[in-house]
Amino acid sequence: MTNPAQERATRLASLPFQTTEAISSRPIGAFFRSVKEIVAHRELLDLLIRRELKSRYKDSALGFLWSLVKPLTMLVIYFVFIGQILGAARGVPEFAIFVFAGLTLWGLFSEIIASGTGSIVGNAGLIKKVYLPREIFPLASVGSAIFNFLVQFVVLVGATVVLGQVPFSADIVYVPLGVIVVLIYGIALALLLSALNVYLRDIQYLVEVFILLFFWASPIVYSWSYVVDAAQRTGYVWLMEIYLWNPITVAMLAFQKGMWTAGSRDNVMGQDAAGADIVVQAQPWPVDLNLRLLIAALIGLVLVWICQRVFSRLQGNFAQEI
Amino acid sequence: MVAKKSPVRPDVIRVNDVSKRFVIRKDKSLKERIVNFGRSSKHKDDFWALRDVDFTIQAGTTVGLLGANGSGKSTLLKVIGGIIQPNTGSIERRGRLAALLELGAGFHPDLTGRENVFLNGSILGLSRKQTEEYFDSIVEFSEIEEFIDTQVKFYSSGMYVRLAFAIAVHVDPDVLLVDEVLAVGDERFQEKCMAKIREFQKEGRTIVLVSHSSAQVEDLCSRAVVLSHGNVIFDGDTKGGIEALRASFDQ
Repeated sequence: MTNPAQERATRLASLPFQTTEAISSRPIGAFFRSVKEIVAHRELLDLLIRRELKSRYKDSALGFLWSLVKPLTMLVIYFVFIGQILGAARGVPEFAIFVFAGLTLWGLFSEIIASGTGSIVGNAGLIKKVYLPREIFPLASVGSAIFNFLVQFVVLVGATVVLGQVPFSADIVYVPLGVIVVLIYGIALALLLSALNVYLRDIQYLVEVFILLFFWASPIVYSWSYVVDAAQRTGYVWLMEIYLWNPITVAMLAFQKGMWTAGSRDNVMGQDAAGADIVVQAQPWPVDLNLRLLIAALIGLVLVWICQRVFSRLQGNFAQEI
Repeated sequence: MVAKKSPVRPDVIRVNDVSKRFVIRKDKSLKERIVNFGRSSKHKDDFWALRDVDFTIQAGTTVGLLGANGSGKSTLLKVIGGIIQPNTGSIERRGRLAALLELGAGFHPDLTGRENVFLNGSILGLSRKQTEEYFDSIVEFSEIEEFIDTQVKFYSSGMYVRLAFAIAVHVDPDVLLVDEVLAVGDERFQEKCMAKIREFQKEGRTIVLVSHSSAQVEDLCSRAVVLSHGNVIFDGDTKGGIEALRASFDQ
């Protein structure tokens, strides 16, 4: 006959030890160990994502509809004021779809960065009391941002149907590619910034400023042809090259190429005083867009690895520093 | 406690030469750091919270961690629980580990008690289904039925600890880390906890307890580890431990 204590002892004796070391000396093995650990906690990740979504609009009557109010307001602002009044729409066919596509993808990136940065500090209560792979918190922010992105994406697809611009073309494959590149960079930056923010709270304010700034560094409100025009007009063609080094720009161009079919053909946009058609040429999409996407993704993956290593170095003192 | 006469007692926790240094920075903002750049050693203090701590805990033992305030007990418990990483050395542990550190067991203040039970269950490695099974029993043990759908930020510290303890003891832990939390509950709840801890001991679970109450340690523990300024100054029976603790106060 065995008693429960003995049974437990026998079971424990057969279990392997889990080790917490000061700092692991094998960076690649440690990375995959962390990934494995996160995968083992996927149910918890799911719970945290739900919690983040639920608690954000808790006790509000409209609930998650609020997550649509901000992008739609931005759409109205950019469509009416920048597009019609300032005249950006004159050179951009189907300006509404163009702007909303850009805002949707940018919203994914900026939400990941903004909420990811605060994710560790915001979960101090858990981090101080229990052991978890801490990467889960920034990843939960990524998860809830993806959810909001999908909601907006459905609206965007609805808009293309209503406006008769359904993106039926081979270019549609660019849409997931653009999203993947944004996710890679979002995850890398969320990991890095969330960890740094624990030690230096200025990061979260700095991030807000950078989000404002980088919004204009990608073709969201103005189209890519404006950048090409400006570069050729002023003679600074190399600036165009620098502009394309921004991985978010590359992802944005891919996403727009997929979703905004009007950009890939010549459009007649009204007539001038003499009665001749004003033709807006198709977007001069960068010829090496595929290669650029691939390079951006590969560099991004290396960046994810580096940021995860930095994160795991810094996380040892999270419980103390928060 | 009379030790169980089981012949095999596998190690569940091994603390190997662990040291932990804390750095306390006095300047937190970017401005201050830039202004003080290069002179930064003046603006931070460091001290060793743990120094070359090395011991092993066998399954089924109840270990009391003793020491004056600031001697490193809570830090040691957090290092054992994996919540903070040591600077040098390593910790090995096995089996399911539940920790009750200071106030609360890792609750999210904005969530209700119910949601926190599921969150915590998941953190401690239960599936949703398992948590559902235990749920009624957790609520019953905590005796806070009426408040289970209230956000935990509105809980009193007693309610907080009740729920935390109830979860921790229901997840079938092999190792339970307890940090002085029991002092918060009322007398009746404390008795209930003690009864639960005794039951745990009978079931061969391992308990590591931080306590300032010598009586409690003497009553529950089979072994005492005394810390002073981050060093282990005594490791042995509880009687000797309490004496060593008293002696360390007089230093």
